[in-house]
Amino acid sequence: MTHERQTLLDSLPSSFDTGPQWLRSVRKSAAEALRERGLPNKKTEEWRFTPVRPLVDTEFARADAEALKLVSSAREGVTVRSLRQVLEQEPARLEGRLALGESEHFAALNTALFTDGLWIHVAAGVTIEEPLQLTHGFSKTTEPGVSYPRVLVTVEAGSEARLIETYAGEASEQLTNSVVEIELGPNAKLDHIRIHENLGLQVGRVEARQEADSSYRSVVVTLGGALLRFDIRALLQGQGAECRLDGAYVVDGSDHVDHHTLVEHQAPHCRSDQTYRGIASGHGTAVFDGVVLVHRGASKTEAHQENRNLLLSDTATVHTKPHLEIDTDDVICSHGATVGSLDESQLFYLRTRGIPEELARAMLTYAFIEEVVDRVSHKPTRDRLRETVLARIPAGEAIRGVP
Amino acid sequence: MLKIEDLHVEVDGKLILKGIDLEIQAGEVHAIMGPNGSGKSTLAYVLAGREGYEVTKGSVTYKGRDLLEMSPEARAAEGVFLGFQYPVAIPGVSNVYFLKAALNALRKHRGKDPLDAIDFMKLSKEKAALVQLPDELTKRSVNDGFSGGEKKRNEIYQMAMLEPSLAVLDETDSGLDIDALKVIADGLNTLRSPERAMLIITHYQRLLDYIVPDVVHVLIDGQIVRTGDKDLAKRLEAEGYAEVRDAIQP
Ligand SMILES: Nc1ncnc2c1ncn2[C@@H]1O[C@H](COP(=O)(O)OP(=O)(O)OP(=O)(O)O)[C@@H](O)[C@H]1O
Ligand SMILES: [Mg+2]
Repeated sequence: MTHERQTLLDSLPSSFDTGPQWLRSVRKSAAEALRERGLPNKKTEEWRFTPVRPLVDTEFARADAEALKLVSSAREGVTVRSLRQVLEQEPARLEGRLALGESEHFAALNTALFTDGLWIHVAAGVTIEEPLQLTHGFSKTTEPGVSYPRVLVTVEAGSEARLIETYAGEASEQLTNSVVEIELGPNAKLDHIRIHENLGLQVGRVEARQEADSSYRSVVVTLGGALLRFDIRALLQGQGAECRLDGAYVVDGSDHVDHHTLVEHQAPHCRSDQTYRGIASGHGTAVFDGVVLVHRGASKTEAHQENRNLLLSDTATVHTKPHLEIDTDDVICSHGATVGSLDESQLFYLRTRGIPEELARAMLTYAFIEEVVDRVSHKPTRDRLRETVLARIPAGEAIRGVP
Repeated sequence: MLKIEDLHVEVDGKLILKGIDLEIQAGEVHAIMGPNGSGKSTLAYVLAGREGYEVTKGSVTYKGRDLLEMSPEARAAEGVFLGFQYPVAIPGVSNVYFLKAALNALRKHRGKDPLDAIDFMKLSKEKAALVQLPDELTKRSVNDGFSGGEKKRNEIYQMAMLEPSLAVLDETDSGLDIDALKVIADGLNTLRSPERAMLIITHYQRLLDYIVPDVVHVLIDGQIVRTGDKDLAKRLEAEGYAEVRDAIQP
């Protein structure tokens, strides 16, 4: 299937004629809102530090072909189905679940335009030890292409699962605009590891909707990228739900990565923790914007957020903006952000023990984000990430192979 | 082993060391005492090669070579060790991990094969026992959350692991309780050898009761104003620096 190349906005069809009625109307209103509002521009507050022009002005061809792959095998209690198939056979089961749109930009575009995707369903009361692994890739093409991966993850009451997503791709003009929706039932648990090692253009959105006593743990590792904008949201809707959003990003060369987190405390007795760490060198740019909203009535909330950045060159840039909006009393909240360079006294200490300067720098640099990498609960993935991260940090080569 | 001649050092444009002369032979233990701010740590840092300490005059020769030319890691490789007055915490870098890297870098420099994990752990256990450093602490991040005394034990544990020729120990006894002081002193006495020299910076006679120095120097306002034997330290303890200062400044 070949498509003509169009800008993202121009690629929105004038009418939606396939699929169940409810989906058509969701798509239609997403498209209408987008046409009216347009995609972000320089003046859009949430895109203040990230150049959106390459996304808005480029003419892309649709290139979904092999965008989404499930690499792990089938297992008891887990059903993985194509969204297209479910939409054809049992559309009612998805009604109300694929509705990101209205107030969104790129997520709305995905809602309007995704053609297929996956529904990962974990039945109630099962514990899945082996992680489900998804990869999103681009086969090498010669012209700019866009894909719209769409994933819905449902973990029913009392179940536990692990999901590892990897976004890879070498082609710098390819755009991946993904949406992952996660539904956690009462007392459900999901460990979600997401790795961005795509060199191209990436816009991604994760939204976790959490019922009572559920637990969502996300570790995002971003290894550079020409342009990445990633938004993760956890909506703590049921009493006693908790989430931990952690992230590590490394930028070098002319990489530009932008992470936005949002935690909404909508119910009492919920807890959220966020730790994002970044390393910026070369001419790289990293942006972090984190919001914690504590809604009225969400008493006994505990929310912590921290973003720390290591700036390794004068030509790299870091923007960080953590903030809390609290609309209730009786909460424990903390937040903080730092941007700094390597500590000279630590460096000196290591060198007085005989550690060569390069190695000492690499050790301290890796130590800065190691805490986050260590939270990747799946050992083979953690080991692989350690190697990949070391390959990306200045002088990281020096510590590969050291015990 | 070490020869310091007419050493002048400035920090941030301020002259701190104002002509130090000091010579230490292999096997000797020297003590430096002196009031707060007299320049003891400055001297220790200059010997270890810290940036920002500008030598404006004088020289330091170590094993016949110009020490001041060398990077901190090259000095370590040649056998210089600094026990810090205030050891820095390094979250995320584990003690054993960094020490293994350090030890193997030194071994490489000395033409020895690297130690494998098993031999390293064996050595580590033995040396940790020497200063009664709990095994658990050797595995934690360097000095992270260590108490004052634990940090000092960690310094001597590292010294024991790295087997330096010249150990400069900056107030290793400060912050230690009486029992810990004895443990550290015993550890240091075990490490005393004809091939090894020590320069011990301290405010207290107590440590010197255990590790009897061959030579004692008094550093005041960036200069060594008195040099004597172990009795000089005793006299300082009894009379204070003022007496000693007055005795030499008519
Ligand atoms: N960066 C600096 N700029 C200016 N003066 C400095 C700087 N660092 C150290 N000094 C000064 O150098 C002098 C010597 O300091 P040093 O730490 O060597 O003293 P010390 O003899 O070790 O003292 P103590 O017994 O308290 O440990 C002090 O007056 C100190 O304030
Ligand atoms: Mg001092």
